[in-house]
Amino acid sequence: MEALPAYPPGTVRALIHSDLVTPPTRRALGERLRRKPTVKPRFFDRHAFGVVRTACDRMIPQPERDPPIDLAGELDGRLAEGSGDGWRYAKMPPDPEMHVRGAAGLDQTAHQMFGTGFASLPSAEAESVLHVVQSGKASGEVWAKMDAACYFEELLALVVDIYYAHPLALEEIGYVGMADAHGWQAIGMDEREAHEPAVSKAQRGAA
Amino acid sequence: MTAAMHPVLRMRHYPPGDVVDAVVVGTGAGGAPLMARLAAAGLSVVALEAGRRWSPAEEFATDESEQNKLFWMDERLSAGGDPLAFGKNNSGIGVGGSTLHYTAYTPRAQPDDFRIHSDFGVGADWPISYDDLAPYYDALERFLGVSGPASYPWGPKRDPYPLHPLPLNAAAQLMERGCEALGIRTSPAANAALSGSYYQEGVGWRPACTNRGFCQAGCSTGAKASMDVTFVPLAVGSGAEVRPECFVTGFEQDRSGTITGVDYIHGGAEQRQLCRHVFLCAGAIESPRLLMIHGLANDSGQVGRNFMAHTGMQLWGRFEETVRPYKGIPGGLISEDTHRPADANFAGGYLLQSIGVMPITYAGQVARGRGLWGDELRGHMRGYNHTAGINILGDCLPHEENELVLSEESDARGLPKPLIRFTNGENERRMTSHAEKVMREIWTAAGATDLWAFDRNAHTIGTCRMGTDPGEAVVDADCRAFGVPNLTICDNSVFPSALAANPALTIMAVSLRTADRFLATRGERGAVQ
Repeated sequence: MEALPAYPPGTVRALIHSDLVTPPTRRALGERLRRKPTVKPRFFDRHAFGVVRTACDRMIPQPERDPPIDLAGELDGRLAEGSGDGWRYAKMPPDPEMHVRGAAGLDQTAHQMFGTGFASLPSAEAESVLHVVQSGKASGEVWAKMDAACYFEELLALVVDIYYAHPLALEEIGYVGMADAHGWQAIGMDEREAHEPAVSKAQRGAA
Repeated sequence: MTAAMHPVLRMRHYPPGDVVDAVVVGTGAGGAPLMARLAAAGLSVVALEAGRRWSPAEEFATDESEQNKLFWMDERLSAGGDPLAFGKNNSGIGVGGSTLHYTAYTPRAQPDDFRIHSDFGVGADWPISYDDLAPYYDALERFLGVSGPASYPWGPKRDPYPLHPLPLNAAAQLMERGCEALGIRTSPAANAALSGSYYQEGVGWRPACTNRGFCQAGCSTGAKASMDVTFVPLAVGSGAEVRPECFVTGFEQDRSGTITGVDYIHGGAEQRQLCRHVFLCAGAIESPRLLMIHGLANDSGQVGRNFMAHTGMQLWGRFEETVRPYKGIPGGLISEDTHRPADANFAGGYLLQSIGVMPITYAGQVARGRGLWGDELRGHMRGYNHTAGINILGDCLPHEENELVLSEESDARGLPKPLIRFTNGENERRMTSHAEKVMREIWTAAGATDLWAFDRNAHTIGTCRMGTDPGEAVVDADCRAFGVPNLTICDNSVFPSALAANPALTIMAVSLRTADRFLATRGERGAVQ
């Protein structure tokens, strides 16, 4: 990936501790920023967790971050707590079952395509597996019984939901809506408040 | 903040063993207005609300994830050709119901919306007309403090809105620019968020909107007219009791079918509130679900039928200018020039609105709608501050196959989960395709690149249709249930047609009218002594 992040580093992290942010917002973001990476999964077994972590790494690659935002750990935590989003496709099994079967399915497809488990695939091969699953063309026992494209969409939506909730991801896209204590006066085109950083060229051009 | 903003301090409490005049199930746009009016008429009223009572200033974060607490997260099963997203797409919980997360859009429906069958031979007419609701629209706009233009270009002649319009954000300015180039008329939209501080009769002063842009995940200042800062305190001030965290599970009936008590769970314990009349206002999913679980009010077989969801396609684009789509009232600009398009090959019509968007919501749409992931997704999201959208809100016809049923699966309480089948019909598909073309033209004229459309449906409508024939409807024109002497249903479930307008204001108007009709006819019906 290009070395894009051009939002002034630390902006959101600095903002959170300023009086431009209300206490409830600071609590929510600060807690997320401080959360420790998951060492031991609570929902998945170790093998499935490795599969899911590989999928997360490809869906949102973070080569520039050490440590990266812990997408798989957060996903595991949400499943352990049983927090859903209020609905599911009727043709899919309940979320916990879908995620266990989906991880097994990714592994199966990896074996079919490359003769090894999904978690041990190099990036390009893992991405090929994900493309096949996303297109709904993956074969195998798991995908014969569960819609592959639908699983991919659900997993991706969840991973994206977790990533863009993180203060560092918000910093990356130039979002400072968390500065909520005084609201906004400069809301029109090409307007910004004094405490809003300018948007960089990188944030302008990418599509 | 005045003492009136803290009515909980002096809220009246009724022992569950008391026979109260009315139990209201749900405190959203359907339940709260009628609760206030019944209480003001001297009735003893208890409202049972499944969710919590929030203190927005202390508990609402400007953070999408944290605010998931405002959405109804009990699982619903989505089926059909266009399975609907629930949760944060359309379903709220807490004192104030879905108005806690509504965008504050408050356009009125137009007179012809109520007679789509007469005009086009499809769908269903309402048994009431625009004229029946007009006085309530007037009263609501004054009471809530709706901000809007002095002169609104569409619909019947009306008084200026009580407050001047909210300022236009970048998306609204861009839509104005695109529409102007094409000769499409626009107007600052009517929004139930205050453009100046406002004194509300029976409630007190509410502050002006700070352009925080977060209406869809909870207003922390009280500038948005959600029910918890308007009709709920008004009702409590008149002696109503609002009982949060009470999940209604059933009804006790006598031999005549009259409901004598409402069962609910509070703090893990089963309770029963005795009552003379029940107002079921739990929304178009939970209201029919409760009725179906208990086999109530369904002699017509229509409970759960006629489920509708507005066509709601959103069109996104990239602009050279910075947009910063997290600022300002999300729907600042409107056009109703497409209410009945001259070149339409469909029944009904739609309105156009500019939209702001929060990052997680937008990222989720990019993931589901475009299927982007990896570097492509991160790259696209870096352009967030240059992203602006417009959307439609269009009518939806009832279709035979679109319905709510009880599934085989049970929830944590042992109650069957609802399953909703939804497929856009030919009429919705034609309307959406017309709208996509118009929106692409507008956004291109405004200077957008990388256009992409996210097709979706908005709101939950129908399932307890209002009508005159007990064989084809669940409630009459006054929202009284056929077949149960003392049950009224009042929320978006009673809508016979979807209307080409965001529903909250019309739900509130129907709610106030329902209370007035109830009060005017209770002597004749003898439900309340």
